[in-house]
Amino acid sequence: MSAIYNNCEYISKKQVKIIFDGKTYLAYEGDTIASALLRNNIRLVGRSFKYHRPRGIYTCGIEEPNALVQIISEHNEPNTRATIKRVYDGMEIISQNRWPSLRYDFGAINNILSPIFSAGFYYKTFMGPKGFWKNLYEPLIRRSAGLGKPPKNFRSKSTHQYHNTDVVIIGAGLSGLAAAKKFINTKYKVLLIEQDSYLGGVLKNSNKVKTINGLTSQEWISETEKLIFNSKNITILKNTLVTTYNFTNHLIALEDKFAGKKIDLNKSELTLHKIRTSNTIIANGHIERFISFRNNDLPGVMLASSFEKYIHRYGVVPEKEPVIFTNNSSTLSLLKKLISLGCKPKAYVDYRKKDNVETEVKKILKDKEIPFFSDAEIEGCDGNKKVETINIRQGKSFNKLKSSMLCVSGGYNPDIHLFTQSKGLVKWDKNILSFKPDTPFQKTITLGSTSGNYSFKKLCDEINEKLSIFKTKKVSLDINLNVPNKFSIKELWETKKKSNSHWSKSFIDLHNDVTTKDLKQAIIEGFDRIEHLKRYTTNSMGTDQGKISSINSLAIVSKMLKKEISDVGTTTYRPPYAPLSFAAIAGRSTYEFYDPERQTSIHTWHLKNNAVFEDVGQWKRPWYFKAFESETMYQAVQRESKMLRENAGILDGSTLGKIEIKGRDALEFMNLMYTNPFTKMKPMTSRYAMMLGEDGMIKDDGIICKISDQHFIATTTSSGAPKVLADMEEYLQTEWPNLQVYLNSITEQFSTFNISGPKTREIMMKVFPDIDFSNDAFPFMTFKNFDYKETKIRIMRASFTGELGYEIYIPPKFGLELWEEIFSCGKEYNLIPYGTETMHLLRAEKGYIVIGQETDGTVTPIDLNYNWMIGKNKKDFIGKRSLSRPDTSREDRKQLVGLLPINRKDIIEEGQHIVELNELPKKITNPIKYLGHVSSGYHSPNLNHSIGLAMIKGGKNLLGHKFFVTATGKTKNIPVEIVNPVFIDPENKRLTS
Amino acid sequence: MILIKCPYCGERDQSEFANGGEAHIIRPKNPESLSDKDWGEYVFYRNNPKGIFYERWVHTHGCKKWFNAVRNTSTDQILKVYKVNEKRPDLSEFQNTLKSPSGEPSVGSGNFAVKK
Ligand SMILES: [Zn+2]
Repeated sequence: MSAIYNNCEYISKKQVKIIFDGKTYLAYEGDTIASALLRNNIRLVGRSFKYHRPRGIYTCGIEEPNALVQIISEHNEPNTRATIKRVYDGMEIISQNRWPSLRYDFGAINNILSPIFSAGFYYKTFMGPKGFWKNLYEPLIRRSAGLGKPPKNFRSKSTHQYHNTDVVIIGAGLSGLAAAKKFINTKYKVLLIEQDSYLGGVLKNSNKVKTINGLTSQEWISETEKLIFNSKNITILKNTLVTTYNFTNHLIALEDKFAGKKIDLNKSELTLHKIRTSNTIIANGHIERFISFRNNDLPGVMLASSFEKYIHRYGVVPEKEPVIFTNNSSTLSLLKKLISLGCKPKAYVDYRKKDNVETEVKKILKDKEIPFFSDAEIEGCDGNKKVETINIRQGKSFNKLKSSMLCVSGGYNPDIHLFTQSKGLVKWDKNILSFKPDTPFQKTITLGSTSGNYSFKKLCDEINEKLSIFKTKKVSLDINLNVPNKFSIKELWETKKKSNSHWSKSFIDLHNDVTTKDLKQAIIEGFDRIEHLKRYTTNSMGTDQGKISSINSLAIVSKMLKKEISDVGTTTYRPPYAPLSFAAIAGRSTYEFYDPERQTSIHTWHLKNNAVFEDVGQWKRPWYFKAFESETMYQAVQRESKMLRENAGILDGSTLGKIEIKGRDALEFMNLMYTNPFTKMKPMTSRYAMMLGEDGMIKDDGIICKISDQHFIATTTSSGAPKVLADMEEYLQTEWPNLQVYLNSITEQFSTFNISGPKTREIMMKVFPDIDFSNDAFPFMTFKNFDYKETKIRIMRASFTGELGYEIYIPPKFGLELWEEIFSCGKEYNLIPYGTETMHLLRAEKGYIVIGQETDGTVTPIDLNYNWMIGKNKKDFIGKRSLSRPDTSREDRKQLVGLLPINRKDIIEEGQHIVELNELPKKITNPIKYLGHVSSGYHSPNLNHSIGLAMIKGGKNLLGHKFFVTATGKTKNIPVEIVNPVFIDPENKRLTS
Repeated sequence: MILIKCPYCGERDQSEFANGGEAHIIRPKNPESLSDKDWGEYVFYRNNPKGIFYERWVHTHGCKKWFNAVRNTSTDQILKVYKVNEKRPDLSEFQNTLKSPSGEPSVGSGNFAVKK
C-alpha cells in the first residue's frame, strides 16, 4: 500500500516542506494539502464531528465532508478543506477535533456511547434540570463535538470588487469553455469564473475525453484559453468560487489571491466579487455521490472520480491496487487510467447486471485478469483506522479481499446548488437518478452535466441551442471519447449490512455523523417531512451541505415512506455554496473603517486639554475634561457643574444638528412640522420646539430661529439630525408637494459654542467689545448677526443649563481661533470647558428633558407637562390629532416628575424602578406593582444631594407623595418624595438675569 | 440584494434605498374631524399582502426622491416603478400568479425547489 507519482503538468517539480501535526513532509508546489498528504501515504487526517471516528480524504474538491484542517500559519484559519487549499513552503497544518492526538483520541468513546447520540439526541438527552444546559451540557458538548477553533486577534485584508456584465459563465470546464468561445469578440461583456487555478474542468481532471476537433484535450484547452484571453470582452477569473446566486442576477464570488502562496500581510488576500449580470450561465458540472455501506467512512474509502482527479490533476496515484465499486458506467476511465499506469485494481465490483456492463470494461477485466463481481455490492469494510479488508456480496456468497483503498461511485448529481439558490425549480430525472434544473426563475441557463446532460456528443447541440438567444456564431465540437457516450446506472443508495456491532455504522452524512439508522429512527418518531427530518437528524446541515450525500438521503427516505422522490422533495440549498469567511464579507469595513468618526473643529484643543470623549452618533464629543490625571468622571463632572453655576463654562456644541428651511411657504411648513405656533413669532427671535410623530409621540426637539417668514433655522439633537431632515423631506415630497420649501443641512457649516454661567456677560463683552449684551438690547431667546474679523457670526441668547447663556455660531475655519480667544478673555473669570455629562447634570437640575432619556418613543408633550409648547389654535400639525386619542388622554400615563431622596444621603440611580414597597421580598413570587422608572439621576453638587427625574404613572397628581426607588444589589429601597422637576431657579431669575 | 430602478437615476442596488411602507395612504386633510377609529386606521393600520403590493421607496443614498413601486412580495419582483404624482397602476396590469392556497406562485417564492 503506497502512493506513486504520476507525471502531471499542473504540479511543479519544485519541492516544498509542509508541517502536519508537528511532522514535516515533502510536497510539490501546486499540491493541495490533501494531495500532499496522500503523496506521503497519510490517510488519517481528522476525527469526525460527533463520534470522533477516524476520517480520511474522501474527495478531491469543494464537496469534501471529512478532511477539514486548521491552518495555523494563516491566522489559525479553521475548517479549511484540505482538498482545496494549496500548499506552500513552510505551511503549518493541524488536524481538528481530536484530543490528545489524532491517533489516540479520547472523544472516540462517543462512538461506543453512540446509542445516546442518535437522531435528535441533543433534544432528548439534555433536557434538564434547569441550568444544566448552560453550565454543564453545552460546555461539554462544545468541547467534545464540533470542528476547528476560531482564530483570535484576526485582522482581515480582503477587498470588494463590483462588476456589471452581460453574461457570467460559472465554471470553465468543457461546457463553460465552449460557451465562452461563442462570445469571443462579440459585443457582450462576459465574465468567466473558474474555481480552480487551471481551466478545463473534466478535461484536466480525467481522461474521459480523448480529442476535441482533432486536438488533445490539453491542446484544445490551451488554444481555447488563448482565444478567450485575447478577446477584449471576456474576463477570466481563476481561483474564484461563486458562492451565492441572489435575486436579480446578483452573484457573489470569492477569489483567493494567495492560492498556493504564503499570505503577504501587506496585501489583500481575498477579493469578494459582487456581480450584476443580465444572464447567468451555470456550467459548474456535477458532483459524484457516495453509497452507504457498513463503515463507509473508514480512511481509504474515496470517491472514484476523486481518485481519478488526484492522478490527472495532482499527479499522485493514492494507491496502486484499489478496489473499485460502482453502479454506473463512469468508472471505466479510472480503470483504463490505472491499467495504463501499470496498476492493477484488486477487484471491480459493479452493482449492474453483467449484461448491462460495458463490453470494454469486461474485456479489460478479462485481459488483465482482474477479479470482476457483477450484480454485486460492497457489504462493508473493516480495519483499524484504515481500510484493511473489504467484504463483497455477490448473490448469497461473500468474498473478503485485502486492500487499503476502495473507490466508490454512486452516480453523478448535477450541481444544482446555484440553480436552486436562484429560485429555479428542479425535476427528478429517472435516467440519471438525480434532480436536474427544470424551470429557471431568472435569466439562468444551465449547460452540460449541470443541466443533467451527461452525453458529450450532445453537448455541442445543447450549447448552440440554449445560447441561440445571443447573437453569436455556432460553435462546433467534434469530441472523441475514452468512455461510453451513453450513461448507464442502476439505482443503489445503501447496501445490506451483514454483521452488526456498535462500531459498525453506515453513514449518510459524513460531515455531521448521521447514519442511515438515524434517518429510519427519525421517520419512526414521526419526522416524515424532509425539512423536519433534516433538522432533527442534522442530515446535510454541515458546512458541505451534504454535497456527496443529500440526494442519497432523499432517496432512502422516499423508499422508507413509499413515496416518489419528487413528492418527498428536496431541502432548500442555501448560500453560500461553500463556507465564506466573515473577513471576506466585511472587506475593508473593519475597525476604524467600519464607521467614520466625525470630529469638530475644536477637536485638537479637546485632546490637548485632556478631554475624555463620548460617541454621539458618529461624533466624538468631550464627555468631561480631566483637571488632573487621577480625576474620576464623577469628580470632574461635580467640579465642572459647580464651577459653571459659580462662574462660567463653555461647551463645544458644534455637533448639534442644524437645518435651514427656506422658501415661500416656509412658515406654513414649520407650523405643520412642529407643535409650536410660529406665525406670531417676531423675526430674529428663537423658540424651543418639539417635533412629534403622527402617533403624537415626541421624536425630536431643538431651538427654532426665525429669520423671516420665508427663512428658518432649526437645530436638532446631535444624533437626530439626519432623521429630522429626512422626515421633513418626506412630508414635502409626498404630502405637501404644493409647498414651496427648500431644506439644507448646515450642521457642518458652523462651529457652535454654548457659553453659560453668571459671569458669561462679562466674558462676552470682553471678547466682543462692540456688541451690547444688556438685557434690553439682547433679551433671552433672540439672536443677531455680526461681522467678526474677516467673517460673520451669529449669536443667540439661549441656555440649556438654566444660567445666563449665549450660543455662538461661526464658520468652522475660524472656530478654533475664536474658542481660544474666548478662553484667554475668560481666564480672569475662571471660565472652564465642560462636556456632555456636565451638560446633562445641569439640565437635570433645571428640569430640562433629553430626547431618548426622558422620552422613549411613548411620551407625548402632555406627559412632560409641556402643554405650553402646543399650538392649540393651529388647525393642524403632525401628531396633533393623536394628542386627543383615548390612549394619549389616559390619566394614568407615565408623566414627568422630580424625585427627592427623603434621606438626603441616598443616591437615586438612573434606570431604577419606582415601587410602593420599602423593601423587596428576598424571593420574588408575585409581580411587584410597578409605578415607573428613574429617567435621570445625579448627585447635584449645587444642592449637595441626589436628584432624579422620573416617568411615573399618573405622576402629575402625585406631587408630595412618598414612594420608593429600588437600588442595585439591595433589597432595601430608597424612600423618595415626588416633587416638581425643577430643582434650581424655578423662577428663571438666573436664566433671564 | 435586489435591483431597484429609481425613476430619476435608473437601476441601483437595494442598499441605496429605504422602504417606506404601503403607498397611496393620503394624510387626511382635516385630521380633527376624524373619529378616533378613522384616525387610528390612518396612523396604525397598513396592508401586508402576500403578492402584489403598492409601496413607497426613497432613494436615500442617491437623489433622495420618493417614488412608488409595485412589488410581488412573495417573489420580491418589482413589477413597476412610478413617480409619486403619477396614477396608481391598475392591478390588472400585473399578472397575478397567486395560485397555491397560501399564496405562493409556483416558481420564485423559494418555498419549493422541486417541480411537481
Ligand atoms: Zn434616484
